[in-house]
Parts: sequence; C-alpha cells; structure tokens
Amino acid sequence: MASTVMASSSAATIHFLRRCSQNPSRAIPKSIRAQIGRDEKPPLLIRRLTTLLKPSAAAAAVAAAIAATPMPALAEQMEKAALFDFNLTLPAIALEFLLLMVALDKIYFTPLGKFMYERDAAIRAQLGDVKDTSGEVKQLEEQAAAVMKAARAEISAALNKMKKETTAELEQKLAEGKKRVEEELAEAIAALENEKEEALKALDSQIKLLGDEIVSKVLPST
Amino acid sequence: MNVIPCSIQTLKGLYDISGVEVGQHLYWQIGGLQIHAQVLITSWVVIAILLGSVIIAVRNPQTIPTDGQNFFEYVLEFIQDLSKTQIGEGYGPWVPFIGTMFLFIFVSNWSGALLPWKIIKLPHGELAAPTNDINTTVALALPTSVAYFYAGLSKKGLGYFGKYIQPTPILLPINILEDFTKPLSLSFRLFGNILADELVVVVLVSLVPSVVPIPVMFLGLFTSGIQALIFATLAAAYIGESMEGHH
Repeated sequence: MASTVMASSSAATIHFLRRCSQNPSRAIPKSIRAQIGRDEKPPLLIRRLTTLLKPSAAAAAVAAAIAATPMPALAEQMEKAALFDFNLTLPAIALEFLLLMVALDKIYFTPLGKFMYERDAAIRAQLGDVKDTSGEVKQLEEQAAAVMKAARAEISAALNKMKKETTAELEQKLAEGKKRVEEELAEAIAALENEKEEALKALDSQIKLLGDEIVSKVLPST
Repeated sequence: MNVIPCSIQTLKGLYDISGVEVGQHLYWQIGGLQIHAQVLITSWVVIAILLGSVIIAVRNPQTIPTDGQNFFEYVLEFIQDLSKTQIGEGYGPWVPFIGTMFLFIFVSNWSGALLPWKIIKLPHGELAAPTNDINTTVALALPTSVAYFYAGLSKKGLGYFGKYIQPTPILLPINILEDFTKPLSLSFRLFGNILADELVVVVLVSLVPSVVPIPVMFLGLFTSGIQALIFATLAAAYIGESMEGHH
C-alpha cells in the first residue's frame, strides 16, 4: 500500500518534471520561470525544481534518473495544464445557460406552473362549491323546519277549531237537553199542581161531608 | 518503500491508472479563440438530458399527475418554495432563473458522478462534469450578479445604490467589495467542491480499486446536490437582498 502511494506520487512527479524538461517555457509557472535563467539547461533545471517542489529525496532521485530517458508518447499527452484558463468557454456556457433558461421557461416553468395554478384554483373552487352546498343544505333544513312549523300550526289550529266546534255542539246538545228536562219538569210540576188542586177540591167536598158527619156524630141529632 | 526496483513500465502503468488529468483540456479553435471542447460537449449532454426529460414528462400535463409529471411538479414546487423563502414578495419572475440554475448545476454535478464519461476517450483531457471547469462556474456566477443588479435597479431605480452607504458611509468600500466577492465565492465554491470531489474519487479508485471509494462516491453525490442547492439558494438570496427595502 505504502509503496503504491509512493510509486504513484513519484510517477506524478516524474511526469511533471518530464513536462518541464520537454517544454519548460509553457509548463512551468511564471514565478519559477523567473528564478530560472532562460538559457539554463534541463539537468540544472530539474535540480532546481526538485529543491523547489520538495518531494522526498528518493522520489527526486528516481525522477531525475527517469527524466534523463525520453518518453515522447507520455510527454505529448502532458501539454499545458491550465486550471484557471479563461477563454471562449465562459461566454459559450453563459449563452447556453441563458438559452436553457428561456427553453425551460417555455416548456417547463411557465406551462406547468400555470397548469398547477389552474388545477389548484379548480380544486379550491370545487371545495368552495361544497361549502356552498352545505349552506344550501342549511337553507333546506330551515325550509323544512318552517314547513313543519307551519304544518304544526295548521294542525293545532284545526284541532282548536274542531275542539271549539265540538264544544259548541256539545253545549248546544246540553242546552237542549236541559231545556227539555226543564220543560218536562215544568210539565210534571204543572201536572202535580193540577192534581193537587183537584185533590184539594176533592178534599174540600169531602171536608164538608166529613164536617157534617162529625157534627152529626158529635151532636146528637135532635 | 520499494520504489527503486520498480521499472519505468510499472510506474507508467500506475500513472495511467491514477491518471488525474487536472487542467487538461481538449481545445477547439473558433474564430481565433480557444474553447474547452470537453466542457461544451458535456454541457450539451446535460442540456439534452434536462430538455428531453422535461419534454417527455410535462408535454401533456394530466390533472392527476403521472410519475414523471409528479416528479417535475415536485421539483417546480421545491424551486418555487426556495425562491419564495429567499426572495419573498414578487418571486414569480425569478423562478425560471433560480430553477434553471439549480437544475443545470445539479444535473451537471450528478452527470460527473453517474455518467460513464470515461468510456469516451478524448485526444486531450477527459469528459467530466461541466461544473469542474472554472469557466462554467464563472459563467453561472456572472449572470447571478447581473440578475441581482437588475432586480435591485428595476425595483428601486437609482435608489438601489443607496444601499452602498447603508448603514453608514464608512462601509462603502466593503459594500462595493461585496459585489466582487459574491460571484467570486459562488464560482470558486462550486468549482472547488466538484473538482475536489472528482479528484478524491479518482485518487481513491487508483489506490484501492474496489469497495473503499463507494462511500466517497455517495458523499460526492451528496456534495453535488448540496452545492447545486447552495448556489441556487445564494443566487436567490442575493436577488432577494437587493430587492428588499431598507428602512
């Protein structure tokens, strides 16, 4: 493991150094270039670089040894390494971004946003309708209550009327009955009076007879 | 420490495995200007993925959403929510900007981690996430600066520049400096995170080719998502900041 790490790191160093030796003016940063004279030769340059970059001594030795033998295929791959390399890519990507924004706005954000808004509105409207229906139900309930009330009032009125009528009828019948009774009573009384008078009359005539009898009995006939 | 017995071929082989090609670009010449072809190509793929999936999923919206539509509705709601939180009143017109920013960065970052770019060999450089090139991140950060200036100026007119002497004129240099640090920090944060993530994965794969890099790859996916979210959120926050009134 450790040797692998070592090897790969030293390999990287080798490539950096190789790049430097192949093409010093392009690959080496300006600051380093300033320190190295333009007409200095690669071996010295490598020595300077190894001290500048400070890899481990063993790696540097290997690097120096390998750098001496040319490897054109690899060296060709290592052209300039540019991390902060601003060029036409920047405006190109910016333009692409703006176009993508317009396109996504046209086919995604605006239509789907509108669609979702409309669906929300529709759902809300339906919910509102449901609430309105509950109001209607309330109204209907009130109507039903009113109808019931009216019906009850009607019934009670009819009942009252019937009661009154019945009472009146009954009273009339009662009155009639009373009247008849009174009439009969009066007749009976009159009949009794008559009988009484007749009886009294009969008694009167008998009284005379009896008086005469009594007188004739008390007083010796003379 | 078995370095010296290694032959040059062994070293070359190891180097090829751990070939981290930082700062290597495939150059195209367009009218005398150079362009990073690998960034351009991957960005086209990202844009194609975005537009394609959106067209397929949202072409014919249903009242009861299908799977794809449901996903994109969720994404749209997420972006609207983000814009609303950061910008507040009048966030509507900024949704496409924030949304495109988020989606482009997110798909770019994930494409770097998920798409097998390495299958396609380029003469120089290699295909990777478009966001691991500083040009891309600056190209996204500069429109953000333009956007928040536009937002402030259109909302408050020239009174927008009054914020430079708020709360006291002593802070004027710092306030001006902020306009430069904002795009700088936005672009370098994204660039650094994505590049570092890819480097970590590549180096780990070169050291231990199995199992061990997997958690780091998942971490990379997580970081990628977070970076996209951070970029979009900060862009929205800057826009909101320049639109809000100071009392």
